[in-house]
Amino acid sequence: MVDIQFLGLLNATLQAATLLFIASLGELITEKSGILNLGVEGMISVGAVAGFMTAVNTNNIFLAIVVGVLSSAIFASIHAIVTVTLKQDQTVSGLILTILGLAVSSLLGKNYVGRKLETKLESLFSIENPSNVLEVFLNQNIIFYLAIIFTITISYILKNTMFGTRFQAVGEDSKAADSMGLNVTKTQFIATCIGGAFAGLSGVYLTLSYVPYWTDNMTAGRGWIALALVIFGGWKPYRTAIGALLFGFLEALVPRLQTYGFELNPYIVKITPYIITILVLVLLTIYKGGKTGAPKNIGIPFFRENR
Amino acid sequence: MQISMILVWLWQVLVNKYTLSKRQVVNELSTFYSFLAGFLIALIIGSVILLIQDKSPSDTFSLMFKLSIGSVNSLSSSLNKATPLILAGLGIAIINTVKLWNIGAEGQIFMGAIGVNLIYINFQFSNSTSFIFILLVSSFLGGAFCILIPAVTKVLFGVNEIITTLLTNYIVIGLTIYLVNGPWKDPESLNFPAAAYVGKEVYLPNIFGKLSYGFLICMLLTAFAHYLKNNSVFGYEMRIAGGSEMTAIYAGINAKQKAFFAMLIGGGFAGLAGGVELLSQTHRVSTGISQGFGYTAIIVAAITGMRPIGIFLVGSLFGALSIGGSVIQTIGVSTYIADIIQASTLFGALIIQFFFNYQLKRVDDG
Repeated sequence: MVDIQFLGLLNATLQAATLLFIASLGELITEKSGILNLGVEGMISVGAVAGFMTAVNTNNIFLAIVVGVLSSAIFASIHAIVTVTLKQDQTVSGLILTILGLAVSSLLGKNYVGRKLETKLESLFSIENPSNVLEVFLNQNIIFYLAIIFTITISYILKNTMFGTRFQAVGEDSKAADSMGLNVTKTQFIATCIGGAFAGLSGVYLTLSYVPYWTDNMTAGRGWIALALVIFGGWKPYRTAIGALLFGFLEALVPRLQTYGFELNPYIVKITPYIITILVLVLLTIYKGGKTGAPKNIGIPFFRENR
Repeated sequence: MQISMILVWLWQVLVNKYTLSKRQVVNELSTFYSFLAGFLIALIIGSVILLIQDKSPSDTFSLMFKLSIGSVNSLSSSLNKATPLILAGLGIAIINTVKLWNIGAEGQIFMGAIGVNLIYINFQFSNSTSFIFILLVSSFLGGAFCILIPAVTKVLFGVNEIITTLLTNYIVIGLTIYLVNGPWKDPESLNFPAAAYVGKEVYLPNIFGKLSYGFLICMLLTAFAHYLKNNSVFGYEMRIAGGSEMTAIYAGINAKQKAFFAMLIGGGFAGLAGGVELLSQTHRVSTGISQGFGYTAIIVAAITGMRPIGIFLVGSLFGALSIGGSVIQTIGVSTYIADIIQASTLFGALIIQFFFNYQLKRVDDG
């Protein structure tokens, strides 16, 4: 018999980790192509509100997921147009994408604050009270399993296929990739939109399952933690997943410490995930001594000189 | 179908007949023109959003105009609102001289206000002018303290400063919420958690009407930041340090030291924004010290290409926009319109800037 508290903690860990991980997987794909997109927070927010609005109005969860994912992908295409097509500064564009995304989602979601969701995203196999570890894993919703499938396939594609190698070549040395005959602009553009789509999926997970309601700024910095996770994972899907589980565990553990007999100030508890993120980032950078495994071309716009 | 065929044909013509090339000489005023064009694009986007919401754009914008710069009083409030924006924007620009980003201005603003209150409740000075001065200095130190960890870890270990400065925002705002609900909670403010008001003797006085002396401080610091960035030895060294590592070594410039001090000074500027805001506007620590000034300041700094004088002008305009945005709530228009206009201005400017930096050239296919 496994402790019921432990199962609750495990369940919360998996949910928090899924939310962070999907967004960071999308950012990983974008960054692998050499484009830095700091707009994750904004993209998650747009996906979250779009999915929530669709779910409230149509009661169709599947449609809500599709709309959330697509709207974030379209939103990310702003970044793609500005940085890939028009070769402007990626840091500036990404930051403003976050600000714009938060403002747009607040504007759209104004009339949806406090609205209740009739049908939330249910778990795939409905198990009433999970009594062992396996049942907790089976009690997750579809996005959790999608995350596992994505991790395996993306890792396989990047490592073992010609397509994956070519894709990474674009991010490592876009000039060389270009002279090999690869379409750098197209690859980067699509990769940025895919990153947006993943952030949208993460946003949908947030409003349809994790906390099934909408308020302003409900992403609460998760987009930035997702960005830190990509660095943490050294731009590798499996390590990013481990990082997400670690952060998910911390996010799940800290509010529960009280039940384990620790007296904590609730206001201080709220800021611990951010402190831990900084701490982990610092320790990791020291440990790796600057060799982070970042794609070499990240942040540098590709421009083919005159032929 | 036919439209898509035309588009495909157009694309082929462009790709085959034209090629992109970098302009050798970029127009000196390109940033300014891009800003104007971007602002126009943003106004169009804002109008479209208003039309979707069944509101008249011309009525809304003229109301925003009237209530933000239409009278001396409203102009003063706009400039007061612009003050923290400009100060935080200057801080971002100073740090960007060494090619680093400060996304933590929002947290530094709060830390500046916390610094003021910390000194205020622990010390008393009889001379109110010197007390105000000491409080402003402590807000500067508060902002600098806030960026200390990102600065140290960046300089010593190369930790990504974008993420660390951003995360400090959440930490400092969390700390503020803790303070105003716990140790500093004013029992007299029942529903709204806030610290006690500071005494009238440390209020920043008004120059005339509603316009606070904070704006004068802001003007002086704009001039100082301009001098620091463009004319001082330190500014020159910062630019070298932010440029090439090898050049800095050959020139005997300690790049890490410059980066460290640039970050502390920049953080201090943003902290000062919080101090001025507290002493001239809110008069107490609460979560209302900043309404996203630190984030808007990023737009202001980036749109001007990190030029202090430009930050002063665009910051003033955006301050007016924020005031306009908050008053149009009364006619049922969301305040987020102002945020969207500000962010769209930058996107519009980035798009226009492209045409200043690159040109389409016809391919000579003989």
